[in-house]
Amino acid sequence: MTQISTSQFQKGMFIDYRGEIHQIIEFQHVNPGKGSAFVRTKLKNVKTGNTVEFTYKSGEDVLELPVFIREMQYLYKADKQYFFMDRNSFEQFSISDSLVGSFGNYLKEGILYQIYQHEDKILGLKYPKIVKLKVTEAEEGIRGNTVSGAKKTVILETAIKIQVPLFIKKGDILAINPDTGEYLERVND
Amino acid sequence: MPTWRELKNNSQLWDVFYLRQQIISAIREFFDRKNILEVFTPILQPAVIPESYHEVFSTTLIDRKLKKNTRYLIPSPEVSIKKLLAAGLTNCFEITRCFRNRESGSNFHNPEFTSLEWYRTAATYFDIMKDCEELILFINEKINKNNKTLIYQNYTVDLTLPWEKISVAQAFKTYSNISLAEITDVKNKNNPFPTKKIAEIARKKGYRIFKNNTWEEFFNQIYLNEIEPHLGVNGKPTIIYDYPAPLAALGKLKKNDSRIVERFEIYLGRIELADACTELTNYSEQKRRFKASENEIVNSTKNQIVVDFDFLEALKSGLPDCAGIAMGIDRLIMLFADKKSISDTLLTFE
Repeated sequence: MTQISTSQFQKGMFIDYRGEIHQIIEFQHVNPGKGSAFVRTKLKNVKTGNTVEFTYKSGEDVLELPVFIREMQYLYKADKQYFFMDRNSFEQFSISDSLVGSFGNYLKEGILYQIYQHEDKILGLKYPKIVKLKVTEAEEGIRGNTVSGAKKTVILETAIKIQVPLFIKKGDILAINPDTGEYLERVND
Repeated sequence: MPTWRELKNNSQLWDVFYLRQQIISAIREFFDRKNILEVFTPILQPAVIPESYHEVFSTTLIDRKLKKNTRYLIPSPEVSIKKLLAAGLTNCFEITRCFRNRESGSNFHNPEFTSLEWYRTAATYFDIMKDCEELILFINEKINKNNKTLIYQNYTVDLTLPWEKISVAQAFKTYSNISLAEITDVKNKNNPFPTKKIAEIARKKGYRIFKNNTWEEFFNQIYLNEIEPHLGVNGKPTIIYDYPAPLAALGKLKKNDSRIVERFEIYLGRIELADACTELTNYSEQKRRFKASENEIVNSTKNQIVVDFDFLEALKSGLPDCAGIAMGIDRLIMLFADKKSISDTLLTFE
């Protein structure tokens, strides 16, 4: 375990908050109208999946929990659990959907994901900043429709619907920010 | 990603920049109708006032003779405007860029931001509260016509008057079960804000205590954790008023309680939109606070600054009774465009 300062906070990091393991989901620097700097965090309890907000004094020291990352293949979802397999040891692990949250919408079977482990405990998924998914259903965009910001809904291979510009076609591969569900760009290659 | 690239990918993103123009036009029209003068004070200044919690940007001005002089980018136009009030101007407003270093990495702060400030002479913070209510309603009417309900990040805010008003002392009692008496010491004239006293309350609540923590840090940590989440989220905008004195360097103390400054903030859907004060006009009191603030800066890691003694001179020459406010224009845009982060309202080319 390492003592770190709030200036070393990173999204996804695991810390001790009031005696339990929490993952930093979000953190924000805040300066009240008149006063010192603070760091507002959103912390997820890895045991319960509950989130709490806590604001630290800037520079306060916090205990970081050492984690390592294992690469695992996503297999399937059953009973509110996502199942993964370590391809070297064939061990299987599950993570509850309350921990995976909305990222579950972008999980694709057969793909390798990075999983955090602390000692012998699986803590959760390391969320990539970008996911690339294929469009499986899309209406034809109407040619000549140049209305500013016009959008349509398409369905991706993980069955999630997202809003995209009109030129996107079935079969295109899109880069998406899984954090916000926003379309970023077309990445056909 | 630089904003131009995002705009090229998604033309809908232009909307927020049209909204910015609408809001700024509405603000100008609002003050124009009241016959209030718009002023344009310098952004580059030779000196700043000591506010220990601001890290100012500094740069070097080189004159024709190659002589070097420090210049600062203003953290707020407040000091310049007060000099104009001392010079005889009555009511005025300014829309300007302000700069605060180290304020990156936040949904609500950007090192460069646009601020609206306005001041009224022969006025108190109550007059400014009234202006605020009128201004927000005026901007809303321009944008949303007759619809007086805003939705911001899933919070519904009904703008019709009256708004929720709560004093800081009431809020601490209601949301945190702390009374002002527990964290201050009325009898101690030299230091009514003993750090020891508030640290003990903070410790009992599970906050951690470190050496060098100040009264203000404990106060603000409790405020941010236990009070702020309740502000502007009860269906109406919230005006929270009467702050402890360590939380306002330029505010006027209440006549009947010298622990309290006449200051208020407005929250809508958890956005802290504005910060206002009945202004301190007393020269010697301001000088004393400057000194205290300067010492704090020396004790912290902050850069040394050239202190704006000219501001004290302006006060000495006679600043009329006045009240003023700073309102974040970028935050107004966040509110009306329902954007989670200030960066969604700004152009960035980094």
